[in-house]
Amino acid sequence: MTPEAIVAIIASGLVSGSLYALMASGLSLVWGTVRMFNFAHGALVMIGAYSGWYISNRGGLAKVLQPIGRNIANNSEDWGLIGDILHPLGEWILSIKAGFGLLLGVPLAIIFCGIAGYVIYIFLVKPFVGKPGADLVVIITTIAGASFMQNGVQVIFGPRYKQLDRILKGPPVEILDTAIGLQEVLIIVLTPVTLLLLNLFLKRSKLGLAIRAVAQNDDFARLVGINVNQIYPLTFVVSSMLAGLAGLMLGGLFFILPTMGSEPLLRAFVVVVFGGLGSLPGTIIGAYVIGLIEQSSAYVFSLYWAPVVLFATLILVLIFRPRGLMGGENS
Amino acid sequence: MLFQVENLSSGYGKIDVVRSLSLHVDVGEHVGLFGPNGHGKTTLLRTVSGLIPVNSGRVAFRGEDITGLDPRKIVELGLIHVPQGNQLFPEMTVQENLTLGAYVSRTDKSKASNFEKVFTLFPRLKERRSQRAQTLSGGERQMLSIGVGLMGMPELLILDEPSVGLAPLIKEELARAISEIASSGVTMIVVDQDVELLLGICERLYLIEKGTVSLETTDVSQVDQAEILEMYFGKVS
Ligand SMILES: Nc1ncnc2c1ncn2[C@@H]1O[C@H](COP(=O)(O)OP(=O)(O)OP(=O)(O)O)[C@@H](O)[C@H]1O
Ligand SMILES: [Mg+2]
Repeated sequence: MTPEAIVAIIASGLVSGSLYALMASGLSLVWGTVRMFNFAHGALVMIGAYSGWYISNRGGLAKVLQPIGRNIANNSEDWGLIGDILHPLGEWILSIKAGFGLLLGVPLAIIFCGIAGYVIYIFLVKPFVGKPGADLVVIITTIAGASFMQNGVQVIFGPRYKQLDRILKGPPVEILDTAIGLQEVLIIVLTPVTLLLLNLFLKRSKLGLAIRAVAQNDDFARLVGINVNQIYPLTFVVSSMLAGLAGLMLGGLFFILPTMGSEPLLRAFVVVVFGGLGSLPGTIIGAYVIGLIEQSSAYVFSLYWAPVVLFATLILVLIFRPRGLMGGENS
Repeated sequence: MLFQVENLSSGYGKIDVVRSLSLHVDVGEHVGLFGPNGHGKTTLLRTVSGLIPVNSGRVAFRGEDITGLDPRKIVELGLIHVPQGNQLFPEMTVQENLTLGAYVSRTDKSKASNFEKVFTLFPRLKERRSQRAQTLSGGERQMLSIGVGLMGMPELLILDEPSVGLAPLIKEELARAISEIASSGVTMIVVDQDVELLLGICERLYLIEKGTVSLETTDVSQVDQAEILEMYFGKVS
């Protein structure tokens, strides 16, 4: 193996690992607290990408607003006082023909995913919380939700592939004669920062502490006065925002499609089981290990053999550590 | 009257474990509950703190009807229940566990001084403040459990079997700490198998049998030791 190949494998392994880490930590967080798997998590990745595109791209929201802006700008003179106030608004809408850009697109898309996660919780999860067999029921309801979102997006946005603008524009970075795209570098750097912030939130903030408390002992959490019914939706929101961020990253690398979240979701499940159910550190380490195994086996064997190697590794690890890499007593 | 339970019935599914039980606690009082295993003491406590729905009857605290109230609201009123089996947040540190004990906003202002109080009462916890709860010894876990309860600034502190499964020396240390809490003016309900321990803390005892109060006594000497032994271990012929 040439050094160039090794650098390329490590870089692409870290990129996949980052995406898996973002997705799987959300899944793991929800599993840890609510004891349920959200099968709409992949669809939330897709929603993140689409909403980011819709807000940032000239073909999205900006295009829809143009006729409205033109109408206001041209006719506001006849509307008296209200017109005077609205006129600048119309001018402003006309001036954003090129879209709102990623600077607004990324944060708004993440917030939108948080809201979507809340809605998923309220309609697809909450009605079953505390009922017998809820974990199985919720698998079905969230699969249904995912399929609803995928088809909805297909109807709204049509079959044409879309792609997000690159956040950083410029020549690729060269490491040992290997070119690595700026988008990839950004993903590799931004993911650990995000996970660090997540960790700070869980360790330092009152709500983060409450999330961990519910995960570790929900009965005792009730007895110290934590509103468990508030913590469940909160974990869904946080987890969905992470999924949205993963979608925004993915959307800058590949085409945006209604089904774009399905394959990564499967990988994220592998990661969660591999790293140890409910263990966030295990999940994150697992994500990078899986990413690197996948990319190196794709290089050494072939793309088609990569999943085989991946699942073989998973089975092997589970034989020796049935609870995954870092799964503890409580998981 | 600070706390009153009237004809309370509750249980699991359709079966009542607590059956038309009544008891009361005045401000500043320390009341002990004892009785054979599996006769509904824990179920009673879990019901009054809102973890189990009430089937019938009424619970009042500080003049308010708290029957069927959310556990969070009950904690906010100052009824703090330290559950049986030194329950904790196992993967969190001693410090984090105590911090969570002060979760309700009522305790925000006195958080620092409450930490001090708990650490003076249980110096071992101070030494181990950055240790995870699951790595503590049984006695230390029980201390932490009570410490978490104290962080919630109880108007009524309920302890469910604080001494169960502890070695004599640790048990003594714990009994001393509980007496100290009692004499600092905290109103308490203590459930324990060890009547000796209860006698050291409480002015009044209730005997709970088959989910209801079968004996109430203020004159502790009235409780016949032989009778209690017989109750726990069966008739010795
Ligand atoms: N979660 C539960 N589901 C069904 N039945 C239960 C449950 N918890 C307790 N019980 C039953 O309720 C009865 C009373 O139990 P409880 O724990 O209240 O007794 P206790 O007086 O606290 O006993 P101990 O002294 O052993 O703690 C027992 O018969 C027990 O089997
Ligand atoms: Mg009990």
